Amino acid sequence: MNLLTVSNLTKRYRRGGKTIAAVDDISFHIEPGETLALAGPSGSGKSTIARLVLRLIEPDAGHIEFEGNDFLALSGAALRQRRARLQMVFQDPLAAFNPRSTVARLLDDPLRIHGIAARAERPRRIAALLERVGLAADLAPRAIHEISGGQRQRVAIARAIATKPSLIVLDEAVSALDVSVRGQILELLLDLQRQERIAYLFISHDLGVVRAIAHRVVLLEAGEIAECGDARTVIDAPQSAIGKALVAAAPRLNRTRP
Amino acid sequence: MSPLRRFLRKPEAVAGAILLAALVAMALSAPMLFPGDPQAIAGPALLPPFQDWSLPLGTDRLGRDVLAELFYGARTSLAVGLAAAAAALAIGSVVGTLAGFAGGLVDEVLMRITDAFQTVPGFLLALAFVSVVGPSLGIVVIAIALGTWTGPARVARAEVLSIRERDYVAGARVIGMHPLAIAFREVLPNALPPVLAMSSVIVAAAILTEAALSFLGLGDPNRATWGGMIAEGRAVLRTAPFLSIVPGIALVLTVLGVYLAGEGIVETTAVRRGLS
Ligand SMILES: Nc1ncnc2c1ncn2[C@@H]1O[C@H](COP(=O)(O)OP(=O)(O)OP(=O)(O)O)[C@@H](O)[C@H]1O
Ligand SMILES: [Mg+2]
Repeated sequence: MNLLTVSNLTKRYRRGGKTIAAVDDISFHIEPGETLALAGPSGSGKSTIARLVLRLIEPDAGHIEFEGNDFLALSGAALRQRRARLQMVFQDPLAAFNPRSTVARLLDDPLRIHGIAARAERPRRIAALLERVGLAADLAPRAIHEISGGQRQRVAIARAIATKPSLIVLDEAVSALDVSVRGQILELLLDLQRQERIAYLFISHDLGVVRAIAHRVVLLEAGEIAECGDARTVIDAPQSAIGKALVAAAPRLNRTRP
Repeated sequence: MSPLRRFLRKPEAVAGAILLAALVAMALSAPMLFPGDPQAIAGPALLPPFQDWSLPLGTDRLGRDVLAELFYGARTSLAVGLAAAAAALAIGSVVGTLAGFAGGLVDEVLMRITDAFQTVPGFLLALAFVSVVGPSLGIVVIAIALGTWTGPARVARAEVLSIRERDYVAGARVIGMHPLAIAFREVLPNALPPVLAMSSVIVAAAILTEAALSFLGLGDPNRATWGGMIAEGRAVLRTAPFLSIVPGIALVLTVLGVYLAGEGIVETTAVRRGLS
């Protein structure tokens, strides 16, 4: 059974009198433990899909089924509770955290909200989470602006896995990191997927990264699906015009190809 | 340069801080220096200042010690000024945060209420409120706060409107945090700096409003107030002008001190924010 099934999802925005469809009748699915990449040029609707799937914005039409339930039918406390299973990692790890928070507080929030651990046990759980993402436990009392960008993205991943989700949406989660750190974070994500069978909706404009990490890919253009299929097949031999253009524009990809 | 060093380099801010420190010292030392009731008769009526060294500033029409009244008046001014400003900032921040964060109908209703309060002049509102409910310290505080919370509410709302679009608010929703917890734990603390920057003006205005209310006989009758002293002295303004002049000067210096010190703090911390 599919973990996530998105069907006929549509989101329109009104801009200067006329309506544009940021996401136009899009359908896709993700299986448990699978990585589905969303790729496409800027403004093609990738982030809008992420926000729709996370119920941060509401669609104009379409269905989202998550873990066998109608995800769009949930509201209030039921929705908040279900959110434990569907987490997100943002692009800019500094903007994604309350500037006043400490590492410990950021990791304490999900444990407290979802009643995962009693207060007395939480410091231990926080230390374990930090260790799980390859950080030292003594980072916990630090303010969020006192750690490096790579460490921050690890904290973001720790926060996302705190509630044992089955799906994590990563919107350009490694794009802001420099290349060596990016490799380490991707390694961590793959490792988590292997051990916890977490599925990823992986949004990236970097086809090199997509080819390395994703099982399947959906290429978007102007809110519509231009092409989809096995990640390597699509990226090695794109059929659509936008696919060819994206591959041609990916320098790292060209270097690694024979 | 540390904010403190920068503060100390502004002569007007330092002057304000000194005035404020003197006021606080007066307020705190009043019960020790003048253990009796400041409203009790202490000597002959209308004793001029600097005549009797046990009553350095003389006495009023009823023979009350002017210096003791001045010290206790500082207590009232400071207490009412700070409490009313704190109440106004608290109400304003909460209303502004709810309006800005909830949006839609809640925002509409709360902002119409804010408009309604803002159209009535604050002093008139305080006057009407105290006349109806009756003068006591708590009522005076509430009355002043009723006329002042709208400014902080608008500033807080504007700030919240920009903060609620930030990623970390989305992050808090994704983690399953309750909307009220997001509004008050995640958004409000980050919306506070521009609201708090208004406090010096609000405290100064609250002190003046309290003085004006007690001048009109609407202050707490059981407490010495500067406004009440000025009103008292008005009857003998020609023969004993010092009775009005002394509390008047105290009032002016206090408002000046609060304003200068407050602005100094805001400016030095704002510069620091701008640089970082
Ligand atoms: N809140 C909004 N109001 C109006 N238009 C919007 C809004 N959010 C997104 N859009 C529009 O929807 C389209 C898709 O935007 P989206 O952010 O999903 O693109 P994206 O694929 O994530 O791009 P990028 O790679 O630059 O992040 C764009 O044309 C954008 O201008
Ligand atoms: Mg985007």
